[in-house]
Amino acid sequence: MTPRRSVRWARLRSRLRPPRTLKVTRIGRTYLVVTFGVGLGALNTGNNLLYLLLGLLLSMVVVSGVLSERCLRYLSVRRVGADAAFAQEPFVFRWAISRGQGHAFALTLSEADSPLSGSGGVGYLPAGVDHIVRADLTAPRRGPVRLTGVRVTTTWPLGLFAKTRTFPLESTLLIYPRRTYACQDPGAPEQGPVGEAGNPRRNDGNGDVSGLRDLAPGEDARRIHWVKSASAGKLLRVEREREERRTFVLTVADGLDAQALERRCEEVAALAHRLIEEGHEVGLDTPGERIRPAAGAAQERRLLRALAWLGHERPGGGEEAA
Amino acid sequence: MRKGTRLRLVLRDLGAGCAFASMAVSGQLPIWALALHGLALVFALAGRRPFANRVKLTAVLLLAVALSLGTYVLAGSLNLVVAACTFAGLISAQRMLSTPDAATDGQVLLSGLLMVAGGAALSGELVYGLFLIGFGVLASIALALGVVEAAVPEDEPVPVRAVMGPLAKGVGFAVLGAVAFFVFFPRLNWNVIGPGPGLGLGVATAGFSNTVRLGGAGTIKDNPRIVLRATLSPDPERETLDAYWVGRTYDVFDGQEWSNARKVSSKPTLMSTLRLGRDNLVHQRVELMPAYGARTLVALETPSRLGNAVASTSQGPRRTSILELGGGEVRFETTGIAYSYEAYSLPPGAGGDDLRDLPPEEQDALLSLPEGLDVRVGQTAARVLNGERDPMAAAQKLSTWLQREYSYTLEQGGDVPDPVADFLFQRKQGHCEHFATALTLMLRTQGMRARLATGFFGGERVTGGYVVRAGDAHAWTHVLVPGRGFVTVDATPPAHRASQSPRLLEQLINFYEIVESQWRDVVLDYNFRDQLTMARTLMGPRSAPRQDEAPGRAPPPRAWVAALLAAVVAYGAWRALARLLSRERPLEATRFADAVEALLASARVARTEGETLEELAARLTRAGHPLAPTLTPLTRRYLEARFGGRPLRQGEAQQHLSALRQAVARESRRVANEGTPPPQARAS
Repeated sequence: MTPRRSVRWARLRSRLRPPRTLKVTRIGRTYLVVTFGVGLGALNTGNNLLYLLLGLLLSMVVVSGVLSERCLRYLSVRRVGADAAFAQEPFVFRWAISRGQGHAFALTLSEADSPLSGSGGVGYLPAGVDHIVRADLTAPRRGPVRLTGVRVTTTWPLGLFAKTRTFPLESTLLIYPRRTYACQDPGAPEQGPVGEAGNPRRNDGNGDVSGLRDLAPGEDARRIHWVKSASAGKLLRVEREREERRTFVLTVADGLDAQALERRCEEVAALAHRLIEEGHEVGLDTPGERIRPAAGAAQERRLLRALAWLGHERPGGGEEAA
Repeated sequence: MRKGTRLRLVLRDLGAGCAFASMAVSGQLPIWALALHGLALVFALAGRRPFANRVKLTAVLLLAVALSLGTYVLAGSLNLVVAACTFAGLISAQRMLSTPDAATDGQVLLSGLLMVAGGAALSGELVYGLFLIGFGVLASIALALGVVEAAVPEDEPVPVRAVMGPLAKGVGFAVLGAVAFFVFFPRLNWNVIGPGPGLGLGVATAGFSNTVRLGGAGTIKDNPRIVLRATLSPDPERETLDAYWVGRTYDVFDGQEWSNARKVSSKPTLMSTLRLGRDNLVHQRVELMPAYGARTLVALETPSRLGNAVASTSQGPRRTSILELGGGEVRFETTGIAYSYEAYSLPPGAGGDDLRDLPPEEQDALLSLPEGLDVRVGQTAARVLNGERDPMAAAQKLSTWLQREYSYTLEQGGDVPDPVADFLFQRKQGHCEHFATALTLMLRTQGMRARLATGFFGGERVTGGYVVRAGDAHAWTHVLVPGRGFVTVDATPPAHRASQSPRLLEQLINFYEIVESQWRDVVLDYNFRDQLTMARTLMGPRSAPRQDEAPGRAPPPRAWVAALLAAVVAYGAWRALARLLSRERPLEATRFADAVEALLASARVARTEGETLEELAARLTRAGHPLAPTLTPLTRRYLEARFGGRPLRQGEAQQHLSALRQAVARESRRVANEGTPPPQARAS
């Protein structure tokens, strides 16, 4: 076979057998069994009405295949991504899907060949509309998840078969450590509160009272607002305009086994979240990376990213979905 | 419940109702099953689902019903298929009244599928086909709405309208595919068991009994349902046959009702010869429809031979013997839902039995009068006849007198001691049995032999044959004329002999009959032989036309098939061309920009190095250049096509370029006329 002919043959084959996977649904299995029974009955009895019914049932199968194929054509999908994905809790993930021509119905989107569970759906997709599909996905563990493609499935029109088309779309989704409660104390700060040493009110911040919040474990009891706590029935601490700010460097030791490393990452993430919420500066010291202490949400995101990559090899480049 | 869900459930339940109705038209399901399913359907359509929290209880009840049905089947009092269909109907009802979810929806529709299959085994009615289509359409829409609803987020409405268009096309193609499969799939069956005929539109109303009783109350229902269909040979080719179809005769009247003096039964036989005939007998192939509801064979007056009978039973068609009874009645031995048989009758005008052919007790009965018959009957007959002694002339004279003096009514006069005297001297109106009885008895009072005959009068031409309706049931008189035998004389006014039902209703019934006839020919009786004939017609060489055959105007089937194929190819080519023309051209916007720049260059519009089209348009606008109003929207459209994801439509580029070309030409003419160059904007 000449190269040109083989190319043509491959093109024809791909046209005749597009990359689709077909799965029979539960109702579809029963439907096929009934169809088989009707076929046997028609052959056995020669009852023309059973032949008519058999023809209708088989035609429905064919029409189902054609309509579902039409649904999956002319589609384009891209990932919009997630704001933040934490392990073992649902996070919002979005895809954008559009259609060049015609309509599509009952599309279900999910990530192909990935440990992410969950899917999003769109009931009706007209042509020329960029539709954002939202899904609550769940990742089992921390770390980068390699996304190879988006799987679009439809059970249109009768729900007898689930036809799937996978759109190859390479990307990486970084899963942050699971959000837990920080049991351990962060340890002594590297740097004390900003301000004059010996100030008797150094642990109480300075300036006017800006608000009240729940007293966190390990916080100075002298900051409790006793009157408000008594009326609220819980311990409330005073927050002032200029709070004390300390600097912590959290560490993840080298040589931890997998389970211990996971636990430590979750703990460090929880501590970092708490300390940054309190206004402190937090840094991170890991075997492969050191992040300088800083405060704010961006620093927390930086720390979470570093913790997510911990134990995994970072690629040279590549787009991240989140 | 969100928008669309309610509609889906209603369609689902209606689909299940259609499936159950496809079984119910067979008339074989128990009444209690019909009532239960109907009740469940009403509840479900009203949105009330009392079984939602009683799943286990209803499952136990279903199990009990299954055991009962199984017991009936084992006892032989219920057909297995009927029992299975009944149970499928009850499962469907139970599921309809349960909490609606995806699994329940599937179960309702799959039980509907089973019911439709059961209906195909039970019934061959045309109505079944309608219910099958109804179920297919409703179930498809319900399933599709369910599929879309599952994919739509909770807070969004189900796009019902958008679903309908593509789904309607899909269902249409499925129906076409079903027809193609039905036509082309070879009929190579292991057995041949066709569907049994159903009772059709209601219960049978016509019928023959052993007696004809005068009296009764109420109105005689003039039923337009067709009870008999016959093809005659030789075909009289008349639109209305106006013939007497005799079922049986009566010779003894006791003052209230007619009966027979001789009550004997012959041995069962396949062909019964009532009287000998010659070569000119009229052959009839008769079908007695389910609406007939009796076992008496009828044939055109005067029947000679009857036989070759087949009874359609719930177990399929079965050859049946016939029995000859008193009064010239012939009955099927087997009870069926419908019958078909052959009959041969003497040609019109030929004489019937002679007196000597009759048994002695029947000869005596032909002159018998009821005890206590009102003497005024005989006196009136004598007065009307005025000495006429010829039986035929006397019968005609009395018949004319009755038709003139008495009126026809379908209202019955109620039970009276002497219905004949009541008709003749009190009410002076009655129906065909009153007229025929009065004529028969008046003739007998004058010593002329006569008897009452019952059957049908009429015959309307429908699709090459004749049909007789239940409302055509009739009674008339047989007068024994010496040398001619029994001759038919009808005392009922001619206008009231045939069916009196409304014309529109008759036309509707006729239309239904035509469609039903086509249904039977094309669907129910379609077989391997028909497939071979069709294949020969489509593929085989065209046979030379016979000399005596008139050339048909309609094109041959091959021409239709070729036209259909050509239409499909043309449609495919059109679709491919439309797709080709509407495809997205990746470089079209760039080519468009190149053409615009070439036109601008031909108009000698100065451009700086590296100046984009957008910058050029902005500069020309600032400078008030005459080409700017044309160039600005054109540039904006180019940018949209190139970067905005709005590709140029078919022919749009040519349209814009044409506008620019015209503007350039106008500008060139203006420059040539005025000799002033356009304002040149300098690039900064």
